[in-house]
Amino acid sequence: MIEFTLNSKSVRTDDAPDTPLLWAVRDTFKLKGSKYGCGAGLCGACTMHVDGQAVRTCVLPIGAVAGKAVITIEGLGTPENLHPLQAAWAEQSVPQCGYCQSGQIMSAAAFLADNPTPSEAELESAMAGNICRCGCYPRIKKAILSVAEAGAKAAELGTEVSA
Amino acid sequence: MSALNYSRRHFLRTAGIAGGGLVVGFSLSGCSASEIPLQPLADAYAPNAFLQLTPDNVIRFYCPRDEMGQGVTTGLATCVAEELDIDPAHLLIELAGAHADYGNPDFGGMQGTGGSTSIKAHYLQLRQVGADTRALLLSAAASDLGIDLASLTTANGAVVANGERMPYGQFIATAADLEVPVATPLKADSDFKYIGKEFPRLDGIAKSTGTAIYGIDVDIPGMHHALVKRSPVAGGTVASFDGSAALAMSGVTDVVEIASGVAVVAAKFWQAKQALAAVVVAWDFPPLSSVDSAKVRADYEQLMDSPEGESAESAGELERGFAGAQGVVEGRYWAPYLAHAPMEPMNAVIKIEGDKAELWSGTQGPGIAQGLVARYAGLDKENVTVHQTYLGGAFGRRATLTHVIEATQVALEAKKPIHLLWTREDDIKSGVYRPASLMNIKAGLDDNGKIVAWAAKRVGGNITPGTLRAALPGVMPAAVSDGVVDWVVGLASDVMDGWVVDPSSTEGLYEDYDLPNREVLHVTKNHGVPLTFWRSVGHSFTAFAKESLVDELVEQSALDAVDFRLRNTEHNPRLHNVIQLAGEKMRAMRPEAGRYLGFAAHGSFNSYVAEVAEISIDNDRIRVHKVLCVVDCGLAINPDIVVSQMEGAVMYGLTAALHGDLNLEGGVFKESNFHDYPIVRMNEAPAIEVVIVPSSEAPTGVGEPGLPPIAPAVANAVFAATGKRLRALPLRLT
Ligand code: FES
Ligand code: FES
Repeated sequence: MIEFTLNSKSVRTDDAPDTPLLWAVRDTFKLKGSKYGCGAGLCGACTMHVDGQAVRTCVLPIGAVAGKAVITIEGLGTPENLHPLQAAWAEQSVPQCGYCQSGQIMSAAAFLADNPTPSEAELESAMAGNICRCGCYPRIKKAILSVAEAGAKAAELGTEVSA
Repeated sequence: MSALNYSRRHFLRTAGIAGGGLVVGFSLSGCSASEIPLQPLADAYAPNAFLQLTPDNVIRFYCPRDEMGQGVTTGLATCVAEELDIDPAHLLIELAGAHADYGNPDFGGMQGTGGSTSIKAHYLQLRQVGADTRALLLSAAASDLGIDLASLTTANGAVVANGERMPYGQFIATAADLEVPVATPLKADSDFKYIGKEFPRLDGIAKSTGTAIYGIDVDIPGMHHALVKRSPVAGGTVASFDGSAALAMSGVTDVVEIASGVAVVAAKFWQAKQALAAVVVAWDFPPLSSVDSAKVRADYEQLMDSPEGESAESAGELERGFAGAQGVVEGRYWAPYLAHAPMEPMNAVIKIEGDKAELWSGTQGPGIAQGLVARYAGLDKENVTVHQTYLGGAFGRRATLTHVIEATQVALEAKKPIHLLWTREDDIKSGVYRPASLMNIKAGLDDNGKIVAWAAKRVGGNITPGTLRAALPGVMPAAVSDGVVDWVVGLASDVMDGWVVDPSSTEGLYEDYDLPNREVLHVTKNHGVPLTFWRSVGHSFTAFAKESLVDELVEQSALDAVDFRLRNTEHNPRLHNVIQLAGEKMRAMRPEAGRYLGFAAHGSFNSYVAEVAEISIDNDRIRVHKVLCVVDCGLAINPDIVVSQMEGAVMYGLTAALHGDLNLEGGVFKESNFHDYPIVRMNEAPAIEVVIVPSSEAPTGVGEPGLPPIAPAVANAVFAATGKRLRALPLRLT
């Protein structure tokens, strides 16, 4: 039996400890927003936050997340209460097929939390682990930079940054 | 929308009332004998297959084409909303299931999405649907309110009378008793409120919050997960297998043989995946198992050098053309096999109970999917319900539905609802492919820089027959027996493989330029690799050959890349125009030291695109920094989506230009996942500027036409940088 928190709720599962977190979340906890793209840590579609770090969960056994805090795209924001990145994504029509976007947004959120005012080069290398087969890269980049900019402006004004 | 439908409509209306709700429907195809396609919602009113209105003014739009990222739900909703007079964002968009009324007018009514046809095919049809429905609601309002029709108008989902707004939903009870008008006049372009305007795509929030449902996400009660071990060589069959070890593993319920291999069924995906590794299969392999990529290439070279070839196109007198030429240039070009690798691998969820089945899958042909389930489960098509989901990318891949057949067969054997998923490795190694192609072009030039002779030849597999072969069992009427289907499939394949040149094999090799004396030959040769459409189809390789060769002609002429193309596109004004516009922009570009420009232009899917690539070479690695893309796709319904499709097509084409390469070894593709079949990532992605030519022409293709010019634009830039002509894809300097 492995226990961890999933989007701030504590959960437990008797899935085998070598089950990748992605499949426990999708098959056992029925959260389908995180996607399978390669199963080998190569594409980033399965990215979630584990204790605040962006992690490729298709290669992360649930045995390794015991006692940790897991956040999925569903825990980042909802259609009624969008995370600033999600709002930017929708406003700027970033997604095409949309399949990679949960992973893109989770990677971007962890990255901005670490580096709120990134350079373009930093952003490009941080996001290089996430493949978008539809080629939304120019928009992903623009959306992240727009959220970073808004965050920087808000910080200047002394207002709280929700990102 | 013919008068023929009136009596049926009347019947259905009566039937609808008897059932408690209020539903009418009619067949837009005018010849459908089946029931109305919509699931009538309680209290809803459906004036046609595409719209359903409720008293509280919820207006559902049943989108007839499949959403694979191209923005078709937004585009088609915009067409219907424009004439219905409602903000497209207020429409509730549903993805239509399988029904004849959702046929693609450009595919002879077959229900398929592809060939960049969706907007072009439905533009007027869906505007008409919107206009007729609005006219109907106005008549109903006039009758309800006792006000002269002429004094009524509409505004954003409401009838307006004397300054008062009354939602459409208020009038549906009366509307249901009226005859739906036909051929209502459409708006003038100058009155458009939504068409041609920029607003965010309608699926943006769902696709940014993980709430958009793809086939892989469907989860139904009792569902088990299945994976299939397939022959590593395409076309191989199971000689024998041992599933006992797998069957003993945790969660595994079944190990079954199906047509394509051996399937493992388990309660959860991960259990099925681990157990699949324990299945031992002995295969019978077809002749492909002795084929390496080197042999494919050598066979193609030999056929290219032989006089063999069927004529795909000819005009004028080739010999006289060459005799009068001042200079002759010849080039030979190679393009490899490619996989589509959509981010969402193939999958299908199916439930078969008694004489009924339900399928959930994101496909480019829900009608084909329905037919395949019906045939392989031995059911009537009418008893197979298809739930269309979002497609996590398709690019042509989701027109071949082997996974639907597999899910059907596993569900029958295991007697459980089945979620069948392909792994990424399955996708790369066991899929259907863009054919490898060898192309040769020899062209003659006169003193004025005009092309006076053009001899092109392509050797490779045909694209269409494999897709047809896979789809036919689904589209043939159920009454046709399996034996006859096999026979027709075989016949169609023989015919296509044998002596007919599949137009998809040579499209793009000759149409763009003024070529008074031309000949295009084709030799069909396939070693047994399953082939299909891949974003931009034949153009994905022919544009590379044609635009590379044209660049070599430019070098021979006294003109530059732009003027040469302008001089040779007199018969092709729209291509001429995008060349002119992109040329002006290119001349204004001032690349920094060490950066070089390449130009290419190509017409496909009735649209015209010119691209300029700005590159540098870094340790023999090609880096693409910037791409300019000028497109004429007629009227742009949603310009921002056109821009994103051009961006996407450039990226997709760039992956093929820089990386895409699948290689056969003993009939098996060596590559298996994104480490050896790399995709352009953010750190390699160029900045892309898209210019849409203002146009009031009817809309044309958008999803594919941005792709063909990018590989030759980069190759031509590499020549500018290095003096080296790269005539093989992917482009490699070492
Ligand atoms: S699915 Fe996890 S990195 Fe691709
Ligand atoms: S939006 Fe389709 S893969 Fe990224």
